[in-house]
Amino acid sequence: MDLSERIDAFLDALDEWLRGLYHGMISHPAYEKIEKEAEDLEDAFLLACFPDAFGIPSPVSYYTAEILPYIEDEFKAWERRLWDRNTMLERKGQQYHF
Amino acid sequence: MEPFVFFGGKGGVGKTTVSCAYARKCADAGVDTLVVSTDPAHSVSDVFDQQFGDSPEPVEGIDGLHALEIDPDEEVTAHLDDIRNRLSDQVSASMVNEINKQLEMAHQTPGAYESALFDRFVEVMRGSDPYDRVVFDTAPTGSTLRLLGLPEFLEDWVDRLMYKRRQSIDLFEKAAIGNNEPRRVMDGDPVLERLQERKEFFEFAGGALREDAAFFLVLNPDQLSVNETARAVDDMNAEGLGVSGLIANKLTPAPDDDENGRGARYLRDRIETETDRLDQVRASLDPPLLAEIETRTEEIRGDLLADVAAELDVDVDPETPSFV
Repeated sequence: MDLSERIDAFLDALDEWLRGLYHGMISHPAYEKIEKEAEDLEDAFLLACFPDAFGIPSPVSYYTAEILPYIEDEFKAWERRLWDRNTMLERKGQQYHF
Repeated sequence: MEPFVFFGGKGGVGKTTVSCAYARKCADAGVDTLVVSTDPAHSVSDVFDQQFGDSPEPVEGIDGLHALEIDPDEEVTAHLDDIRNRLSDQVSASMVNEINKQLEMAHQTPGAYESALFDRFVEVMRGSDPYDRVVFDTAPTGSTLRLLGLPEFLEDWVDRLMYKRRQSIDLFEKAAIGNNEPRRVMDGDPVLERLQERKEFFEFAGGALREDAAFFLVLNPDQLSVNETARAVDDMNAEGLGVSGLIANKLTPAPDDDENGRGARYLRDRIETETDRLDQVRASLDPPLLAEIETRTEEIRGDLLADVAAELDVDVDPETPSFV
């Protein structure tokens, strides 16, 4: 292996490491954070659509029932998040990376 | 006169009689007319002595007149079945049960009945092409006011739901960096599409009620009825739905001048009271008093309906709809 090849290999490894570091330290936490915020908003949307699930009568649940066939994934995730969530503080706290 | 004409008022004042009489007056003038009962306690069938259902049927013996009585129960079931069918097409078997619970809950709330009634009522306005005039015999004031106020209220609500949905989809799209597939996509989102459809439905209802509808209140010449009418006029104004006129029904007939028995004295006293109440109506309420219909000794049906129709000083000429 001559010098130029060794330099290329070194640069490739460095590039991979830097990418990994950037992904791990910056972009991944950032997109995770955004996604969690999106999930929170989605929870608020579902709660606004189906407050009857918590015993709160809603004048629009007759109409929002129409979207039930299209929100299988959301509904599943919503239920799971409701089970998993202990406190709102914990949930929001997870979204901060110091 | 607008294509949609509503008759409202307190319970028992004679809304059905007046709306059927007006419908007959329109039909007799050669205007193709549909009379629709939105009152769950239907009595249009009783006036014409013929059973009507949830789809328009011709009224026997009167040309150009059709009638229908809205059945919200049937509509609730149809709505539930329709969603169930789509549910089994779209959703995996294990989730169907879970979602079914939610679905049934939504159809058992007290509001479901009201929503179904509203849906059918808007459907009737949408499908009113074959008729030049649709006359609505409404439920007593309170529930009708709620019904007429619904479009605006529901539009707001759907707007807020759409806003929330858009916000979360937007963030999901932003979270998908690089080659990641976003969990939700704004383009062609079926939930937003559904909500948009509903929004348009409510917009249509609101527009039709504001642009193409005339409202009349029926009242009796007694204090309770006059007070209720005054409140209804205010409430309708607050909703932006002006009342075009008032119709006084069940006025006491005067005795002959030479009569002086107990019956005649009773009638004169009664007339005095009623005149006072009607003077109040003329003086304190904005909408004009368009007709004063005397009480009859028997239920108003058949030929009597034509008599009452003649007493109704309400215009029948059809007007081209400006919104629908």
